[in-house]
This record gives sequence, structure tokens and C-alpha cells, in this order.
Amino acid sequence: MKPQLTLQTPLELPYEEISNYLNKLWISEDEDSSGANTFTLMVWQPSWLEQCLVQSGLISGPITGTLSPEIIKVAKKLIVDKGLSHTTSVNSEQLLTLLKGNLSNKNYEDLRGQFFESSISTLNPRRLITLAPTLNKKPEIKTFVSAYCPLSDNTVTQSICGDLVVIRGDSNSINKKGLKIIDELSIKDLPTWLWWNGSLNESQEIFNYFTEHGIRLIIDTANGSPKRCLKILDESIRSNKAINDLNWVRLKSWRESLAMIFDPPSRRPILDHISDIDIDIAEGNILQALFLISWVSDKLEWLFSKIENHGELIKIDFKRKNGEKISTCINPVPLGNPSVHSGQVIGLRLISKISEVPKNNTCIILGCESVECMRLEAGGMADMQLIEQVVPNTFSSSESDVSKLLGSSRGNTSPLFESTIKVAVQIFNNITNQD
Amino acid sequence: MPSTLSNPLRLGLRQERVIPPQCLIIFGASGDLTHRKLIPALFELYLQRRIPSEFGIVGCARRPWTDDEFKEKMQAKLTDQISGNENEWEQFSNYLFYEPVDLQQSEHLVRLSKRLNEIDKSQATHGNKTFYLSVSPNFYGSGCKALKAAGLIDDPKKSRIVIEKPFGRDYSSAKKLNRIVQSCADESQIYRIDHYLGKETVQNILVMRFANTIFEPIWNRNYISSVQITSSETVGVEDRAGYYESSGALRDMLQNHLTQMLAVTAMEPPGKFEPEAIRNEKAKVLQASKLADENEPWNCCVRGQYAKGGNSLKRLKDYRDEDGVNLNSTTETYIATKVFVDNWRWQGVPFYLRTGKRLPKRLGEIVLTFKDVPVHLFESTIINPAPNQLIIRIQPNEGATFKFEVKSPGSGMKSRPVEMEFSYDESFGEPSDEGYVRLLADAMLSDPTLFTRSDEVEAAWKLYTPLIELMENSPWKLPIHKYESMTWGPPESDQLLSKDNIFWRRP
Repeated sequence: MKPQLTLQTPLELPYEEISNYLNKLWISEDEDSSGANTFTLMVWQPSWLEQCLVQSGLISGPITGTLSPEIIKVAKKLIVDKGLSHTTSVNSEQLLTLLKGNLSNKNYEDLRGQFFESSISTLNPRRLITLAPTLNKKPEIKTFVSAYCPLSDNTVTQSICGDLVVIRGDSNSINKKGLKIIDELSIKDLPTWLWWNGSLNESQEIFNYFTEHGIRLIIDTANGSPKRCLKILDESIRSNKAINDLNWVRLKSWRESLAMIFDPPSRRPILDHISDIDIDIAEGNILQALFLISWVSDKLEWLFSKIENHGELIKIDFKRKNGEKISTCINPVPLGNPSVHSGQVIGLRLISKISEVPKNNTCIILGCESVECMRLEAGGMADMQLIEQVVPNTFSSSESDVSKLLGSSRGNTSPLFESTIKVAVQIFNNITNQD
Repeated sequence: MPSTLSNPLRLGLRQERVIPPQCLIIFGASGDLTHRKLIPALFELYLQRRIPSEFGIVGCARRPWTDDEFKEKMQAKLTDQISGNENEWEQFSNYLFYEPVDLQQSEHLVRLSKRLNEIDKSQATHGNKTFYLSVSPNFYGSGCKALKAAGLIDDPKKSRIVIEKPFGRDYSSAKKLNRIVQSCADESQIYRIDHYLGKETVQNILVMRFANTIFEPIWNRNYISSVQITSSETVGVEDRAGYYESSGALRDMLQNHLTQMLAVTAMEPPGKFEPEAIRNEKAKVLQASKLADENEPWNCCVRGQYAKGGNSLKRLKDYRDEDGVNLNSTTETYIATKVFVDNWRWQGVPFYLRTGKRLPKRLGEIVLTFKDVPVHLFESTIINPAPNQLIIRIQPNEGATFKFEVKSPGSGMKSRPVEMEFSYDESFGEPSDEGYVRLLADAMLSDPTLFTRSDEVEAAWKLYTPLIELMENSPWKLPIHKYESMTWGPPESDQLLSKDNIFWRRP
């Protein structure tokens, strides 16, 4: 999907005037164009990596807010050049800290909030509000406004238009002044979503403002410490606030592939005899793997019994209602070219023991590529009945995942995710080293 | 331990589209279809959590029922489905309303309009309405006019009309009805329903053809020698004699269900999976279809009518002895015909379509027979090597079978046919939704992909015009052949194929 740019150059206005200006905008517009009766989408868009790279002169501006292939390529090269571990994620704090030590103070054109992938703009958000914190300390808040009408393939239907607002300044000024504007910009009767497109460890005051205001949240738990992320998820479901997680969305192909294996009724008995599950992840955040294990255990009604850390390895034991033990394990694997999202699942091995004779037992292997499948096959797995499947790890962009969420959500937390979170929190609370 | 009767890992994984807030108004709510198909389908959608909380179902018919009476009558008819889901029915029945309406009385429409406004407010349905015309086909045109006159379908974005089959009695009446309906509403508001398109297996034909690389290169005249499309019923006319006597198998099944199966089997790949792209291709293929012999259509069609049959335990009546049937009826309960699709892909490939009542099995299937190998290198264990066949089963035991030759075990090199099987039950283990569940949801979601467009309906009628004219003007040229109940139709239908050295598949 190509990004869509506003047709109108954003107009810079003093922030006190924005609300008034937008109210008038739709009255004075052509009668044939109507403001979309959809939703407001707010985006926290720090794009620290892009800002750092531009200000270090490693890539040319302007700053767009999109994690382009060029940014990823330059960041990965930098990781190697600076002697960081090859497994370092491009979103890591380590890399940012390194870059922040060497910044110029030049001003660059900043187009954040003016670019939106067409997957989002074609959902016709009524109002898009971008909070664009700057690296440079800028005590003054700058605000820009523009109207947009996404172009549609269907020439018969009239255009449905929206407006967008960009609030730019440093984190401190956004916290102090920017959030005041947000209140005035909310449209009564339309749902409001916040997409926190940054680390959940940072700017917690700003994040808390949104959670306290009952705004529907979209976060990415691959970007933040597991402890902080699970705390946010737990608090949200306890207070009955809608929350969605892109890290959970990216797990969908794994959940679907695993469920697909057991669609044929002849394979269902395998589920009653699962004894081991091993999950390989790219080094980093363990949450996605924890979600996967929690989802399986919840659906199969296993009871959590204990968790142990063995260095990087995490072992979690469950019990079936009949007392049988299930051992599961999360195994971080160093990858030379990890995904931009930290800790993504790369392989799963499930063993179901129905008898002492290996050939009567079943081993199910899901791998992101055939090499991973072969790795998980080692150790005599081939003696069992082997079911293998490759789960392609072709990630869509975060924008596209967000648009899928916005297009399909009923405005609540998915019941499936909610029950998974409860199990994941229970397991994580028993972990000794929570960082 | 969780039940493994259904796949526990599948629970909650299917992401269904959410139906937006709206009011569904069913005209003909006291009729058979409402309690047999529509309310069960809506209740099923409710059980699947796909009905929004802002929703209303308004039954309309001439009978002077109240809301409570309507609820009670529906509850009484749905006892099997409600059993075990009593609490859910209690909640669901809060969506049910009833308004006595005669579509021919303008003051009734005014009253209905007021009632709908009240329900719109109480149920918060944002003015969204879907009107379902489950009335006699004679009232489709006047029903649309009445809705238009009452201002109920003025907003093309917030109102839709679903029209049951049959849409017209022939090409000219369908064209006339289209003109009337289109003068009342935009084509985008009109949903002509053919419940065969709601069947999972019919939709699967599109997926099989266009999501796999192996089928498309051979899905043409170069590799396929003939196509058979069958839809058979074991039941007789039952209590539908009044309707069936004036319709017959051609109008009841052939022109719509079988022709839609022909369209999805023969259509070209659409540029994208979008409603208009798909409907364009379906319309094009129907426009390219013609009877195998348009000038002498009696050469490419056989009509039949079931006679007595059955066994000593269950005697089955002759069609003419059924209640409500004319003693000299010439209505066909069986029809078989041969069609060509005049385009590059299908030139010269015969499509044989047959449908009938009181046949030995209830089934729907599409059989693609591939051309014979150019040289027979191997002797067959049976008389001749069987040609490859792809059999797509629409119902029952939904799935597909591919028949091909393998080496027969033993020291020689003889070949014999074997079958490679795909079955929905074995692969997914869960029953697929009734066609009406899918189609009602799609109409309320404003998704017209699985509904027939005006040009498709007209093309389908046009295809059979020579037969209809013959039946009306010179019926003796297309005589009714009697066939024993629970047999595969009259022997003449076998001759229709044997002329081409082909035989009906005996399923």
C-alpha cells in the first residue's frame, strides 16, 4: 500500500484556534462532501530511530514516521558497524542510546502525521491526530491542520472526508500543553482509538492520560518490557477498557496454523495427550511466546503449575485436569537477521504421547522456514508420526495490522486475547527475573 | 478435559464480519420461509455473536398478530434449534417485532413507517433497514413500489431490498420486473437471492479454481471434454403443488440454482475479489451460454414427470395424484438439457444440466470429465481406462473427488481408476452454515458478491427462452416423459448424452 498524502498543505495554527477552525471547516465545505461518521484515530508517533538517523546524517530527511526499508537497512548496518550483537533489534534502546550521543541540532522537515497508508485512510477516519514528539527540546507546541478525502476506486460514491491534526513539540510540552488540545478535539458520539506506535516504557504520563480517558488502545507489546506491557494489559482488562495488541495480531498465523492441524476430527485425540511444547523465538521479548502458550493452555483447560528460568530458557509446567503433566519451554534463539519486532515466534514443536512406543506418538512442528522445521525435527522426532508445516513469517506493516484491527474490532478487547492475558499474567507473576 | 468433538483451538479464531446496527423487515413473515429458514438463520447468527445489540427484526404480513404472538409462533416452530439455547432465545426474542401489513394498502405502509421509526429509536439502529420480500413473486414489483412510495428506500446507503427467487417467469417478465425494481431503488440496494450461492461448496468452487495453480491451466476446452451439473431431490412436490404447478423444474431449479453453478464453474477469473468484478464475469459467461440446439431445442432437452414408485413399505404417488396437482398436469418434475458456452475457454465443451424430484438420492454435484489420453499404453483392468474426473460435491458429504488411473497391483502393467478424496467433514469436522445464514448476513453487510445482478438474471432467462417458448407454444415437441419414482429420470435423458457417447454419472 502506498502512503497517502493530504491534498491540502497542512495549515499551521495556534493550538488555541484549532478546535474552532475544525468546527467551521465542515460547515463551510461543499455540501456534497460530508465528514465521515466513523472514528477518531490518535497516533503517538515518536519515530525516534528515524529522527536519530536523520539528525546523524545517516539518512536524508524528511522525517515521515514510516519505518521504511531504507531505515531498517541503515540501522542493521549500524548495529554491525558499532559492534552491537547481531541479534540486536532495530527498535532496541541500545541502538538509540548509541545514536543519541552523536546528534546535530539541525532542523529537518517533519512530515509525520501527513503520511498515512491507504489501508488506514480508506477506512475513512473522521479525525486523525498525530502526536509527534521531537528529539530536540522544543518547549513550544506547533499544531497543523488539514482536511483530506481519500480517493476511492468507486467513482459513484461521494467522497467521505476527514481532517487531520498534527501536534508537534518535545515530550514534555506535549504532556503539558498538547494533551489539553486533545480533549477539545474529541468528537462526541464517535469512538476514539489511540495507536501507541512506540515503546511502552517511555512517556508513561502521556500514555496514562489516554488510559484514564477511556480511549480504545492499540499497543505493541514487542516494544516495551514484558513487565510493563503485561501490567498495561492486565489493568486494561480489569477496568474493562478495550485494548488490542499488534504482537498478538502477528501471532494469528501461528494460532491459525496450529488450529488447522486439529481441524480433521481424526486428529483431535492428539490434543488429549500433549506432553511437551517447545517454542523457539528470536532473542528478545518473550511475550509473544508466552501468549501462544497461554492461549493453548487456556483452550485446552490446563492448569498452570510452575515456571523456572534456566538462563535464557524459560520452562513452564501445566497440569491437565486428570493430573497429567505438560512441560513447555520458551527458547530464545540468536538470529543473524532478526525481525524489527523483538521476540517473534520462529518455531513450535508439540509432542503428544499416547503410548511408550514412539511410532504411535505424534510430533507436530511449525516453523517459520524449513530450516527451523529441520532443527526442531532433530533428536529422534522422526521416530514419531510427524506433522510439519511452514508458517511464513511475512509480516505486514504495522499500519496494515492497525487497519485490520480498526476494520474488524467491535470496540472491545477480543475475548480470546482477554482470556490469554489472564493466563499470561498468572504465569508471569511467578517468574523470578521479570526484566 | 475440554471436548474434542469440536476443535478447541478453533474456538473464537474465526473472525467474522460484524453486522452493522439495523432493522430487518420481513414481508411474508407468516409464511413458510420465515420460520423454516429466515428466523433460524438469524438465530444462528445471534448464537454466533454476529448480531449487534442495536438490532431489530420486524415481521410483516396480513395476519393481525401482535409482537408476542409473532414471538410465540416463531418459538413454537423453532423448538429443535432453541432446545439447549433457551436463555439465548429469550434474549434474541427481544429483537422480534410484528406489524400487520398488506403491501397493497398505502395506509398500512404509512403505519409501518411510523412503527419503524419507533423501533429505530428504541433499538438505536441508526435508520439502517433491510427489507426482505418473502412474498408471492406477483408482489415483488408492487412491493418495491409501495416501499418507494412510503419513502422507506430513499437512502441508498441505509436501505436494501432482498428479493427471493423466482425473479420473473421468463426473460421478458424478468426484464420488466428489473425495470420496476430499478425505478424504485439503485441496483446497489437490490439483493436477488439464490440460496445455492450461500452454500460453502459453491463458494469453494471459486477458491478451488482461483487459489490453486494446478486447476486453472486445465480448466478449459483443451483438457475438459464435458461438464455435468446435477441437482436431485428425493422428495416429491409435498405441499408446494400450488406454486410448483405453475413453475416446474425449469423455473424452480434449472434457471436459477443450476445456472448459477454453471456460471461459477465456467466464469473467467475476476481481476480482483470484489462484488462487481465477480458479477461481471458471471454475467459474461451466462451471456455467452446458449442451448446446444437453439433452432430445434427439443433435440437438447428432455422433460419428465415422476410416476408411481417406491416399495411395499412406502408407496409413492404419481405426480398427477398429488394433492393440488391437475390430473392432466404437464408440469415437468425433471429436466435435463445440454448447453454450450460460446467463448474461447469453453467452445465445443457440452455442459449437461439435470434436476428432478423423486430421484434416488438428494445431491448436488458438478462433474468435470477430462479428455482421454492420446494413446492408451496400458491395458485397463476394466474395459477402457476411465477418463480423469473432478467431482465437486455440493451436497451432501460436501467435498471433492479426483479420479485418476494408477497401476493395478500385480506383475502386469494394467491400470485401474482410484479416487483422491477431500471431504469437508473429514478436513474440518464442523458443519458449514446454511446458505441463508451466509446470505442474510451478507445482505445486511451490504456485500452483494453472492447475489445475482439484473443482467445475470436476464441472461439466465434468455438462455432458456427457446425452451420456454416451445413449452408454451408447441408443448408436444417437448413431451413429458414419465419416470418411475426413485429412478434417475426418464430413459430419454440417458439418450441425450448417449448421442455424444457420454453417460450420466451414477452417484
